[in-house]
Amino acid sequence: MNEILKRLLTPEGVRDLLPDLAGRKRKLEELIQDIFSRWGYREVSTPAFEYSVNFDTEMKADLEENLYRFPDERGRTLVLRPDFTLPLARVAATHLAREAKPLRLCYGGSIFRYAGGLQGKQRELTQAGVELMGAGTAESDAEIIALAAEVLQAAGLLDFTLCLGHVGFLDNLLAAYGVTPEAGEKIKHFFSKKDFVSLRELVQSLPLASEAAEAVLAVPGLRGGAEVLEEARKLLPPGADMTPLLTLQDIWAVLADYGVSRFVTLDLGMVRMLNYYTGMVFEGYTVGLGYPLCGGGRYDQLLVNFGINLPAVGFAVSVDHLLTVLERRKLLPEKKPSLYLAYSAGSRAAALAAAQALRKSGEKVVVSVQESTGEEAARQGRALGALRLLYYHGGKCTETALDSEGGGKDATLK
Amino acid sequence: MLLSNDWLTIALAKGRILEPALELFAAAGFDTSRIREESRKLIFTLEEEKLRFVLAKPTDIPTYVEYGAADLGVVGKDVLLEVEKELYELLDLQIGPCRLSVACRAGSKGFAGGYVATKYPRITERYFQGQGKQFEVIKLHGSVELAPLLQLADVIVDLVSTGKTLAENNLVETEVIAHITTRLVANPGSYQVKGKRVMELAERLRAVLERKEG
Repeated sequence: MNEILKRLLTPEGVRDLLPDLAGRKRKLEELIQDIFSRWGYREVSTPAFEYSVNFDTEMKADLEENLYRFPDERGRTLVLRPDFTLPLARVAATHLAREAKPLRLCYGGSIFRYAGGLQGKQRELTQAGVELMGAGTAESDAEIIALAAEVLQAAGLLDFTLCLGHVGFLDNLLAAYGVTPEAGEKIKHFFSKKDFVSLRELVQSLPLASEAAEAVLAVPGLRGGAEVLEEARKLLPPGADMTPLLTLQDIWAVLADYGVSRFVTLDLGMVRMLNYYTGMVFEGYTVGLGYPLCGGGRYDQLLVNFGINLPAVGFAVSVDHLLTVLERRKLLPEKKPSLYLAYSAGSRAAALAAAQALRKSGEKVVVSVQESTGEEAARQGRALGALRLLYYHGGKCTETALDSEGGGKDATLK
Repeated sequence: MLLSNDWLTIALAKGRILEPALELFAAAGFDTSRIREESRKLIFTLEEEKLRFVLAKPTDIPTYVEYGAADLGVVGKDVLLEVEKELYELLDLQIGPCRLSVACRAGSKGFAGGYVATKYPRITERYFQGQGKQFEVIKLHGSVELAPLLQLADVIVDLVSTGKTLAENNLVETEVIAHITTRLVANPGSYQVKGKRVMELAERLRAVLERKEG
């Protein structure tokens, strides 16, 4: 491959965003941040890379395989930000340790991981999310879910589902039936991939009582509204811990008060493989996209690892996936047509003054970079896709519509 | 572009598993007679069931489902293992049971390293990588049995059902990599947003399978 050609390539898993799409993405991020802000979340920004040790405990499995790691000048290992929750936990435990609780923080930016799993083929992903730290109530869980529903609606989606589960339900069910932790991990792995064929094979191969096997295999069917909680209760043997189901019931009631339960489906077989979740977990899906649009959950034990003991809950939107869906469905705002402004010899001053005034009033104005004739100006304007031409010449301004080829109406202004 | 959300689109793999798959859907009460009659058409709709069947090449089925062009797919586990997409695997339809196996010429000493011919390069790669052997994968698109006979490869990795084709070509099965049947897979988005319809359909098929077993 020749030298120039080599320079024109981007590495696997990253991409350029071209005009229009890049702008739409920024608009979408602004829309999301604006909603976060109206719910009282304050934006924080954290470095693109940090010491590897910040991620050691919670992302051990990922560290080897999926994270970008490299040494700094003294040989300490750095990690390109793979997640926002851990950096925000660090911020909450240091700079904001004395702030009133609960703490509402939000963020937006890139995370980096080697491709695979839940993200598709991209290695740089844009996330926007929130963390609510210092509250352990069903109301705080529901606030996060309702906020996710608002973001997806505001983006223009109506046919999305937020599926809601609780990590404790499956854990308790497996423990109550005496499933070993090793077998339990395998079972949860198949639940997280929703590979119900392998799940069935595994469960049938384990030395389980028939009612235990039946209970585990019935969990994938526990999807729907509040009635699912009653069915779930029947699967648990007497004496099993019902707390997860009661929590979900409470959350469900608050979601009804928020008026968003129509977007929420209980899914008691939902497992998110990040191991720091301790309570409710949820993911948002829409038709035609094989990856979650958003996801999150409660992580009450995580902040202890940073030296502050606070319950917390949060979620993140996958901005790229959301953008893909909106783009495919043509739900992104059309770009505003621009004005092309040109001038003949001697009219530059008037033209530039007019351009500045129009820009101040909110118009999108592209100004010619040289003197031109009226015909040249019209040609240049059309090439740019501008809808109107303002041509300044001899103390006058002629306005021409450029939308139809050739026959624009001419109007002489003052 | 997309049908409304109460419609389901199912992609069926053409080829050896199509007929038994249609029989299964028929036994579950879906009228599949037109698909059998009009063999050149690729899309069939069942208005009253709000169901649409599309027929595609087996290796393309996971792609249709991944992008949500189809909500569900009916395809062999061999294809799923090879393409490694994030699809939900809802049901083992128990159609076309066979094995994905390593085979070599009768009388040779098994595989200690060398060339492997297969239609499944990724599965093969993963399988032998785990064994610490030196090997090179040769991708073929059909009649893989030829490769050892022409000394193109030392062994092959291919589907084996009765073993007849192997025997006719003087090959023997040495290792089973995976047991293969046809699966019902779902797009994760469809599985969540059209949850009720997907579950109903899976239950109707499961009921037929359990009747067969019972």
